[in-house]
Amino acid sequence: MDILVDILRAVLFVVIAYAVVFVAALVNIFYERRFMAFIGDRLGPNRTGPQGVLQSVADAFKMMGKEDFRPLLADPVLFTLAPVTVMIGAVSIQLVIPYTGGFMATSLNVGVIFLVAITSFTTLSILMGGWASRNKYSLVGALRAAAQMISYEIPMLLSLLIVAMIVGSLRVDVIVAFQANYEWIGFYAPFTFLMFYIASIAELNRGPFDLPESESELVAGYATEYSGMRFGMFYLNEYAGLTIMSMVAVTLFFGGWMGPWAGAIQFWGIEWIGIFWFLAKTYVLVSALVWIRFSIPRLQVDQLMAFAWKILIPLGLVNILATAAIILWVPSWKWGLLVFGWVSFFAFVGLFDPILKRRLRKQRERQPVVSA
Amino acid sequence: MYDQFETPEPDEAVKLALRRIEESTARGEGSDVDGLAFNEVVVNMGPQHPSTHGVLRLVVTLDGELVKDVIPVIGYLHRCKEKLAEKRTYFQYIPIVDRTEYLASINCEWAYVMTVEKLAGMQVTRRAEFIRVITGELMRIASHLVAVGTFTADLSPLGTAMVFYMFRDREIILDLMEELTGARMMFNYYRFGGVRYDLPDGWVEKCRDFLKMFPKKIKEYEALVDTNAVFLQRTQAKGVITQQDVVDYGITGPNARASGIDLDLRRTRPYSVYPELDFEVITAQHGDIFDRYRCRMDEMRESLKIIEQCLDMLPKGPVQLGSLRAPYVITPPPGSAYVGQENPRGEYGTYIESDGSRYPYRLKYRDPCFCNLQLFPKLLSGNKIADAVAISGSIDLVLGGIDR
Repeated sequence: MDILVDILRAVLFVVIAYAVVFVAALVNIFYERRFMAFIGDRLGPNRTGPQGVLQSVADAFKMMGKEDFRPLLADPVLFTLAPVTVMIGAVSIQLVIPYTGGFMATSLNVGVIFLVAITSFTTLSILMGGWASRNKYSLVGALRAAAQMISYEIPMLLSLLIVAMIVGSLRVDVIVAFQANYEWIGFYAPFTFLMFYIASIAELNRGPFDLPESESELVAGYATEYSGMRFGMFYLNEYAGLTIMSMVAVTLFFGGWMGPWAGAIQFWGIEWIGIFWFLAKTYVLVSALVWIRFSIPRLQVDQLMAFAWKILIPLGLVNILATAAIILWVPSWKWGLLVFGWVSFFAFVGLFDPILKRRLRKQRERQPVVSA
Repeated sequence: MYDQFETPEPDEAVKLALRRIEESTARGEGSDVDGLAFNEVVVNMGPQHPSTHGVLRLVVTLDGELVKDVIPVIGYLHRCKEKLAEKRTYFQYIPIVDRTEYLASINCEWAYVMTVEKLAGMQVTRRAEFIRVITGELMRIASHLVAVGTFTADLSPLGTAMVFYMFRDREIILDLMEELTGARMMFNYYRFGGVRYDLPDGWVEKCRDFLKMFPKKIKEYEALVDTNAVFLQRTQAKGVITQQDVVDYGITGPNARASGIDLDLRRTRPYSVYPELDFEVITAQHGDIFDRYRCRMDEMRESLKIIEQCLDMLPKGPVQLGSLRAPYVITPPPGSAYVGQENPRGEYGTYIESDGSRYPYRLKYRDPCFCNLQLFPKLLSGNKIADAVAISGSIDLVLGGIDR
């Protein structure tokens, strides 16, 4: 009987994970289009259903109705496999995320490591799709994606290590439990969160790090040769990724499902109001992602790599050392972390832009004046 | 039977690119990693590519992210504009001029009409001259808005917001033009010796409202990108056009002025009423992408100044020669004439040879974009793909003008 319950439980959570991915993708596509229209002083889709909410559903049906097309010279196996496997990351990452109190697939003892490891799966699918398409744009896009995602996984892991160090556990539910009473890790380590956030934008291939599919350079990057529902899978994964990454960020840095009256309504051992807080926090971060996309121009490949390897990774290592020192030697280490976190956060935010601009100004002064 | 493993024969441009790779490997210049010399690929950008703004085709040789060689291929928008002139009377050809360079169509019309007037020795009424300057400068602003907007859109999704701001404000100009001429793009407005319609009632006030509103909008655009470190990083010290390049390749317009060459036909070879107007020729020092962008932004301000002066000085009088009807049939004496006009993109020259009949014997355009395109192989080689896209956006090509 226990085995039966376990199987039912597993099926339930897999269904939920897939449902979250699909619903989140449809919602996010619509949300981003409206948000982007608002930023660009336009209306956006507002004809299909009330306020256009059914637009992405209509688009999904359109995509399903399209011809299943494969280029003649493409690798048939990999080309078909890539869009099928691309969702694995987004789906299985949810297995360690608590949606709310008592509502979590599994409390893995290496939860944080699992998060980072499973994210890399997307890279594999993208590389597979880009290589199999046998298109030069796809190939360049796929290689860019691989280089970028591998590079940014390091700062991501470095920032997650700090979370694990503060909490003293790799279990995700323990990390959430640690943040009860609003002691959010995002408050203790804002700089760490910033690093995580930047790295997660790069992991998602979104602007300003959307080089793998920068439409003005590579047409559609790795997805150039895909059409119909195969392209739809890449597209769904990308937009579901917004919600999934924000869920991870909320879980690790902003107290997960915790909030006022989170446990007010309880049955079947689940705290139902928590889901609301979880989603609310998640969508605050999703909005930030959309906003950032339309505020910062795209970086260039060398600048992107330099940003990861010359700035984020050294700063992340220093951050780890400093945090470890504070936790080890400062008696009231929570206060120490608070001070250190905010000082480093403001130092980074306040100094990065002026230093960069100063370097550019110097560089421009050195640049020969062509008007002699 | 169709053989699915047979790749189509590469066309001339791709063959040329492949041959160049072979030659450079034979010279020992090919990139060589562990004895493997096959890491250069020929990529076909265009004629349908998101960043080529029209039907420009670039055959690009890539070494990883690096652009090694560029071969521009043109002619996808060729519509025999020059040949068409030989079968139409001078008057019938006016609407066709609009369709050459469609973003600044009224300036092209102006160049053509001026050439015919020079050929026939016609005078233009004074009020019409001012209206021509006003409409020409309005279209210069509209054209620069498209140029800068699409260029920023090449850089980022930020630009996709910016391009919508710019098209939103361009609408106001197009509405003004529509009220005046009845069309939004293909105006058919200039006539020999004047313009087709006088300004409608209230148009001057509407234009003044636009002049008052637009400087704020320019500030808004500048606030978006001018202080953005990533934008500066992407644009400064990249794609530098030296003064030697400008002279060698015959670059004109904002691209030349960004390299510090004080060349503006409105000032150096003045036509119409420009000598009476007070405006500055915008130049910059470095000749990079950022300077070209800055030049266009500042030129919009200067255009506003010119329009304001014209509205103040606007004289009363007829807008067409003699009677209300324009001279439909003119027969210029045999001879030839060339007039260069300062188009938003540079010197737009029209050369007409007349044999004394109702039809031009030969008509030839000197298109600024055509000359600017020649610089592409030199300018783009050695940059990253992303830079190449930004540079080609900053040069601001209109394929309608290049292919004619």
